[in-house]
Amino acid sequence: MPAYSEMLDGFTRQRGVQGGLVVSERDGIVVDSQVQLGVRASVVAALAASIYRKARLSAEAAGLGGVAYVELAATEGRLCMVGRGDLVVVLITDNRSSVGLLRGALLQVAETLA
Amino acid sequence: MTVAVVERWVETPLRHFVQDAQVTLALLLTPSGQVLGQHGFNRAMDVMAACALAAAIHASSAELGKLLEGKPFAGLHHAGATRQIFLAPAETRRGTLLCLTVFDDATSIGIVQLYFGELRDRLAAGAPSARTTPPAVLADSFEQDLNRNLTLLFRR
Repeated sequence: MPAYSEMLDGFTRQRGVQGGLVVSERDGIVVDSQVQLGVRASVVAALAASIYRKARLSAEAAGLGGVAYVELAATEGRLCMVGRGDLVVVLITDNRSSVGLLRGALLQVAETLA
Repeated sequence: MTVAVVERWVETPLRHFVQDAQVTLALLLTPSGQVLGQHGFNRAMDVMAACALAAAIHASSAELGKLLEGKPFAGLHHAGATRQIFLAPAETRRGTLLCLTVFDDATSIGIVQLYFGELRDRLAAGAPSARTTPPAVLADSFEQDLNRNLTLLFRR
């Protein structure tokens, strides 16, 4: 998946980004990933895909339409997610990251996800 | 949530697994097909059939893995249209156990694999000491043990 690698490479060069993953929303398994040592990509993938899916279903149930962007703020960083079809892009960031820029870039990437 | 077990030490690990992974059916069994614990089944007959099939599938896929990779496959996943199954072994001091689980769209194979890892660790940590003599693959008392285990699981 060279297209995903290039895209993930672009994200992981950003300040504060500890890793990026492309995950199957239905299966919760990694399609492609670039993460720092110590990040358990398969665990993050399974749980993040589950969170994204539940957020999408919640938005639909509330009559809000599809999910554009999901962000989970933790004490030491964030999980930022966008999806299209069955694919979800997940970024793992620490508190130094520029969330606004990442959000914009993720939304652009979502348009191009196959 | 109901979890029924034949041996007490598998109850907590199996209960955690069912709760965390949100699976609809779960079976813990020996490679010969003797049930140790279950969640989600209503009839002893279904448990018996599922155990026999799971044991046979595991034996076949393990041999296939040995042929292809020189070692048994770590797990088997089959995705159906609405439901999926996952079958994988867990090593304990009491020997290998198999976990067969069925799940739907409420969870995912990634989540099931994640919590199966925890189940495997909990079983390994909680297993009592090994038997002095390993049980025969198909012991003379197999049918008697099978009936006893099924009765224990479905006693009212």
